[in-house]
Amino acid sequence: MFAVTIGREIFAQLTVNGLFRGTSYGLLGAGFALILGVTGRFHFSYGFTYTLCAYLAFTLHARGTWAGPFSNGIPFIIAGIIAILATSFVGVGIERFIYRPIAARAGATALLAIFVAALGIGIAGQSLITLLWSQQSMGFYDRGKHVRKVGYHIWKVTYENLDLMQAITSIVLIVAFAVILKFTSLGRQMRATRVNPDLATIIGINSKRIYLTCFFIGTLFCGTAAFWYGLQFAVNPDMGGRPVITAFVVAFLAGTASSPIRIFFTGIGLALVEQWTSMFMETRWTQTAVFVILFLYLVWRSMSGTIFGRHLKHVVTFQWARS
Amino acid sequence: MQIWLNYVNQIMIMAALGLSLNLLLGYAGQVSVAHASFGAIGGYTIGYVVTKYNWNIIWALLLGVAFSLVVGGLIALVAMRLSVEYLILMTLAFGNVLLGVFSSLPALGGTYGIIQINNDPHAIHFFGWHMNKPTDWLLPLFVLLAITLAITWRMGESAYGRVLKGIREDVVATRSLGKNTFKVQIMVFSITSALASFAGVMNASWLGVATPSVFGFSLSLTIVAIVIFGGMGNLKGTLIGAVILVGLDPILRRVVKIDQTKSFLIQLMIYGVLLVVLMLVRSVGLIPEGRTLSSFVRRRGAGGRTEMSATTAAKLEPAFTTRKTEGAASQSDRHQKWEQAEVVLEARGISKSFGGIVAAEDLDFVLKKGTITALVGPNGAGKTTVFNLLSGNIIPDSGSVKLRGKDITGRSLDAAARQGLVRSFQDVRLFQRISCLDNVLFGVQQQAGEKLPTLFGRPGIVKQSDKASLDKAMEWLSFVGMQDFANVPAGALSYGQTKLISLARVLSTEAEVLLLDEPASGIDTKWVDNMLDLVLAISAQGRTVCIVEHNLHVVTELADYAYFMELGRITAEGTVDELTSSPRLAAAYFGTV
Repeated sequence: MFAVTIGREIFAQLTVNGLFRGTSYGLLGAGFALILGVTGRFHFSYGFTYTLCAYLAFTLHARGTWAGPFSNGIPFIIAGIIAILATSFVGVGIERFIYRPIAARAGATALLAIFVAALGIGIAGQSLITLLWSQQSMGFYDRGKHVRKVGYHIWKVTYENLDLMQAITSIVLIVAFAVILKFTSLGRQMRATRVNPDLATIIGINSKRIYLTCFFIGTLFCGTAAFWYGLQFAVNPDMGGRPVITAFVVAFLAGTASSPIRIFFTGIGLALVEQWTSMFMETRWTQTAVFVILFLYLVWRSMSGTIFGRHLKHVVTFQWARS
Repeated sequence: MQIWLNYVNQIMIMAALGLSLNLLLGYAGQVSVAHASFGAIGGYTIGYVVTKYNWNIIWALLLGVAFSLVVGGLIALVAMRLSVEYLILMTLAFGNVLLGVFSSLPALGGTYGIIQINNDPHAIHFFGWHMNKPTDWLLPLFVLLAITLAITWRMGESAYGRVLKGIREDVVATRSLGKNTFKVQIMVFSITSALASFAGVMNASWLGVATPSVFGFSLSLTIVAIVIFGGMGNLKGTLIGAVILVGLDPILRRVVKIDQTKSFLIQLMIYGVLLVVLMLVRSVGLIPEGRTLSSFVRRRGAGGRTEMSATTAAKLEPAFTTRKTEGAASQSDRHQKWEQAEVVLEARGISKSFGGIVAAEDLDFVLKKGTITALVGPNGAGKTTVFNLLSGNIIPDSGSVKLRGKDITGRSLDAAARQGLVRSFQDVRLFQRISCLDNVLFGVQQQAGEKLPTLFGRPGIVKQSDKASLDKAMEWLSFVGMQDFANVPAGALSYGQTKLISLARVLSTEAEVLLLDEPASGIDTKWVDNMLDLVLAISAQGRTVCIVEHNLHVVTELADYAYFMELGRITAEGTVDELTSSPRLAAAYFGTV
């Protein structure tokens, strides 16, 4: 079980894998943290939007049979952009037509009500996707006509052009978002709503619009991660299950009110740990590593005095720590 | 025929899973998405020990249940001290990883799982009885359902269930009434996990397989859908929900004629859409909590009047006359009474700072038997903080609190309450969805039905205790004049009325020391007098009362002695007259002289 001699090449390769994978984790975490942190919605259908985006992109790219210039399908970049934007509007729609009315109705028990509804959307969506497409996993690349995978070898490390493109997109999105959050009026409004939604409303911030914006950006991040994953590997109806948990873990580890940069690096850290553990254990155990990290973190949190939800605005249990 | 029998069996298993989840989710308000995973622990346990060692089902069952009891307890131990989001996260990750581990272990059949559990030579057997026909399973599955129903019903519809609902509604208020909520939360999570494992054992043996897909996310979702559809906090609803939702399958397959794989997906879709629609239009589910025909009629009958009952009026009479005859002139007498009374609670050198802000600095004070002590001072002086420090809601940085000579510094909120020091809250914190009588019942201490061994082992004692508690609660409810509102949910009351129920709830603890946080604020003048009489009557019974109050009229009428607080320090003490005659204090309090 233990690899006694760990080659430096293996270590380097795993590190590079972790860095590339990590940009995706970071993006997922930042999107989820934005939604939970600002709106307080426990958006479990994040996984559904992930799957949906990958399927839309796949269908547009690999199966598009329109006449004219796109008779052989739509170029993958364009297919991706259309799918990501379409999915982002689905995310906005979920907030507008499902979460918002439920929250207004449920009052104090909104967290549970929204979680249940999100669970429902997730499973209904996944079943619908399975019914419309199929249970089989489908490869973009096999059917794609415009994707050219190119491998690079530097020293003894291998990576692909798609890895690079995925990492660059993620970094650009995160940096752009960090800039927006820090320097623009919209960003200030988001941060104000995150700290105190009631007060933000009083000073004239349209918190409903801010919520919708958060869902748009959060789903955009989620969809982008899904698109690259689908392109590099394959699409299948269950593909949203693990990313949603990864997003939760990254967001909670970093803190939902942290800066997107910090969340991004937390995602990279998690991916690195996941990759490095595969040096010591068989690959199938590495997914357990994430859970072990999470568990240790939660044990530490419950033992230390910092349980008053420093970065959890909607802590239900410990509201009394005020005089 | 056999097919229909299989549906009956399936309904019994799903109902059992739904009942235990409802106890956790509906009663205690703890969100777990790992319920099916605990079922998987049971299912895989029996699959392994039967196919490998040909165990008797009963030993496999005990092992599976024990596993889940321990694992559930460990998860709860960590997650319950955190907020609800963490419990969701914890159970989600746990479920995902557990199935991941199961499906990667060759000994457990990998991704295919353990199959052919109930085939020769490894048939499921119970002391020589081999169960391989669907009819063989009717009885064992009925036993599963009956045991699960008995346990969940007993825990949910009893004094124990009331504590569970209290945890759901307001943990801090529940703890302030002396309930050890942490222990209860861990117990209920552990027990419902064990019950899920029980159902999982039966499910795997009946189906003859334990695979990742049998105990996958779709099972978790189906259980959640059954509970939500049937109605959270209502076990009858869960039974009906299981029948209807499992019944969808034969309808889709036989009436609408959809093939099996498609029918399964369409069912999941219906469950999903059902959850969303229910949350949008009817979040209480098919049968709302606590709703039976009789309670509905009674609720209608409850009047809207608030008049003191004759007995209460009689009880209050002495206090009332004292107040009227003595008036403010008797301040010196009061001071004398205070001087002579014995010390019950003694605080020495209490300090507490939050970051750089000093909330309490070197506070020394005493509360004396049968007297009323007031904490007065401007907003932000730290009066409520003092209550938090005394009652264990906040642990002081230094100093000590002694109750009858016994050090209770740093005790938790519920431990302090059990020692006889109970507080009320400025913002009342009643349990909104629970009736006034049940709210007051929360305060009654030493209820036999709140201890699991007694609850299950000694029904006679529990029955007696329940009756006694009910009488006691009704008595205190009448004492504050709210007996006509016994069956009205607390959320339907006016603010002044909630203050009275809150007082009754604190009184029903029969604690020696009562800390009342602004008992008369926000209520109109007529009610204020009513409240004054009540507090005086309590004090006349020999209880030790401490109040925080802004209304100077109230303080003057009630307090035998007062401490004046400014910026976390006690700057003056004496009778109210002495304090109000000081121009400096008046300036500090009113802003102008």
